[in-house]
Amino acid sequence: MIAAARAGAHRLPGAGLLLALLIWEGGASLLGGRFLVAAPSEIVLWLLANAWLVARASGTTFSAAALGFVAGNLVAAALAALAFLIPRGERMIGALALLVFCLPFVATGPILRVLYGPGPGPQITLAALAVYYTSYLALMTGLRAAPASWFDLVRSYGRGRAQALLHVRLRAAVPYAVAALQIAAPAAFLGAMVGEFTGAERGLGVLTIRTTRALDIPGTWAIATVAATVCIIAYALFGAIARRLAVAPVATILVAAPPATAHNWGGALRFCLRVVLTVVVVLVLWQGLMDAFALNTFFAKRPADVWAHLFAAPQAATNRVTMAFAYWQTMVLAVPGYLAGIVLGAGLAAAVVLRPGLTATALPLAVALRSVPIITTAPLLVLLLGRGAVGTITITAVMTFFPTFVACLNGLRQMPGQVQDVFASYAATPRQRLIHAQIPAMLPALFAAARMAVPTALLAATTTEWLATGIGMGTLMALSASTSGYGTLWSAVVILSVTASLAYVGVEAVERRVLRRYAPEQLTG
Amino acid sequence: MVPDAGPPPITIAGASKAFGAVPALAPCDVVLAAGQTTALVGPSGCGKTTLLRLIAGLEVPTAGTIRIGTQTPAEVVRDAGLAIAFQDPSLLPWRTVRGNIALALTLARRPADPAAIDRLIALVGLAGFEDHRPAELSGGMRQRVAIARCLATEPRLLLLDEPFGAVDELTRLRLNEDLPRLWEARGTTTVLVTHSVAEAVLLADRVLVFSARPGRIVADIAIPLPRPRHRDQTRTPAFHALVDQVTGALWTHGTGDRPLAAE
Repeated sequence: MIAAARAGAHRLPGAGLLLALLIWEGGASLLGGRFLVAAPSEIVLWLLANAWLVARASGTTFSAAALGFVAGNLVAAALAALAFLIPRGERMIGALALLVFCLPFVATGPILRVLYGPGPGPQITLAALAVYYTSYLALMTGLRAAPASWFDLVRSYGRGRAQALLHVRLRAAVPYAVAALQIAAPAAFLGAMVGEFTGAERGLGVLTIRTTRALDIPGTWAIATVAATVCIIAYALFGAIARRLAVAPVATILVAAPPATAHNWGGALRFCLRVVLTVVVVLVLWQGLMDAFALNTFFAKRPADVWAHLFAAPQAATNRVTMAFAYWQTMVLAVPGYLAGIVLGAGLAAAVVLRPGLTATALPLAVALRSVPIITTAPLLVLLLGRGAVGTITITAVMTFFPTFVACLNGLRQMPGQVQDVFASYAATPRQRLIHAQIPAMLPALFAAARMAVPTALLAATTTEWLATGIGMGTLMALSASTSGYGTLWSAVVILSVTASLAYVGVEAVERRVLRRYAPEQLTG
Repeated sequence: MVPDAGPPPITIAGASKAFGAVPALAPCDVVLAAGQTTALVGPSGCGKTTLLRLIAGLEVPTAGTIRIGTQTPAEVVRDAGLAIAFQDPSLLPWRTVRGNIALALTLARRPADPAAIDRLIALVGLAGFEDHRPAELSGGMRQRVAIARCLATEPRLLLLDEPFGAVDELTRLRLNEDLPRLWEARGTTTVLVTHSVAEAVLLADRVLVFSARPGRIVADIAIPLPRPRHRDQTRTPAFHALVDQVTGALWTHGTGDRPLAAE
């Protein structure tokens, strides 16, 4: 029966994909181009006509993504090693890594462009930025993933931390590392493409901008299809490597949160001190690094410049109003989009498990679709859905939907012990299973997904604003970058990074409370 | 629960189970008498757990049939007539002790009487821990919650898959002595899988010894020790003779034709 289900899982997506293609083709010809949908046949024709162009662009983007992928994962490994060697510094390293991860690409792209000049530098850096934090989290979880008895075993032979690292931790981290690489592969591609939006000479990102500006519908769809295909192949490739290495797939690698903080005044005080310390370290690093590399104060704004822009300068009040208005425009769309994606992802996952046959089809499809760089189709979706609120909310929701859906589908299977059998022995209905066991068991995965989706949602919202709707923080950053308004740009970077980091930490705090009740074993160690 | 239905006998007629090409249980023919406790012992992987899961309706036999009274396991499961406990207590970590026990009644679609649940908690010696979550309990305590959950629906058939396997010896002895009284009083038909010969002899009216995989019954030993059982009985010559008899059967057949070292 299990074997049959497995075979089904491999067979059905093919059938599902074929069906989806047929519906797509039929739908596109029915709509007759009115709703800016290109049929698969049109896409194929466009690709054939522009084969050389697409091949060259794909190669450019792919090499930038690959370099960024390698660099990002190396940085993640170095950070993990550092955090492991200096346990006291782990929180600080984690906080800094998070803050950098929360930098808005729409702003970092142009800044990196100025820093690097022409060439693939910004794309590679953004690709690295897109992958390193997830990989860092996965590695840290993996290094802790061994049972305590294994460490006792090493200790009982009189060996210390180094031997434990060598024989236990590194081996235990392998499945986590492979899973992290799998998630990182499409993320790197997405980062490279967003990097190319900010004025590269060639690449799929450049083609995306060009085809959408020219309202070349089959072209836009074709580029999106190529990008999606590359991402799905990369994702599948690392999945195959994982199977080859015979490492079990780690469904919820990012679930485990750091140890809970004490809930008392001493704990609160320590927390405040940590926040202050983090802010100080960030400011010192920011100022120090820019001075050390003697970066031009015209574009490389220091903390004092941002302070001046928002508070001290004569036109600070105007600056604040501009900033607040753009922030409001962004948040009023990003927050509903974020929440809609999370709720739909969890809800649909719960609905799907009520139809066991559907899970076999839905999971591989969702995993494939999760790796699609949906953001690169943002201009298209906005054309499709209009420049109003619906377009931005939809894109943000779609970006958060797939990771949540996949995480929740996996989470729904996380039953302790033989709880499934206990339910079976009372002939529990699928609905009873869902309510009493599966949904509570899914909560840790849901919150991990919600946490990781925070920066994603802001990226989706600001990129959509920049490429399509022309409002909000995305547009403000893009405009100030092109008009050398670096004070505005850096202020926007600070505001958005802090927003994302705080939202992330907020979700994490809720997550810990949930974990304490629903998965206490994940908080130990 | 059907109020007037007494504990049913279990009729196993040529039931066998294979997982793919791997035979787990050779065709098995045996009737387990109503109201008796039967222990299944045998080497690891011999299929005794498989037989228990077949009786519980968690697996379907590859060939042959199993009847509980006149019903199939699936029918008994449908009106919550049986309960099963595993080596892993399999409690829901987000529910309290009370909540975990109430779960069985919820799943069986029966009203949960809070007073009855608290009585059950006291009965398994966990009074005062009603609102604790599994993470706050010791292994032995969790196992007692699992047993209490089994008893909550007053099943006619109780299936125990090494429920004391993961607890310490002292707790195990205490559970061995205390818990059977809870179901003996009701005359529940009980099937127990265990690795411990002494536990099998102490708890059961009958011990079935299985050969190595694919398991078949190689010895059927009646345990005529008086009830209620008490741990003092473990020091009697009669007890030791029975333990020797079961161990002997295990030793002769249990390891199959190969020497142990080849396992």
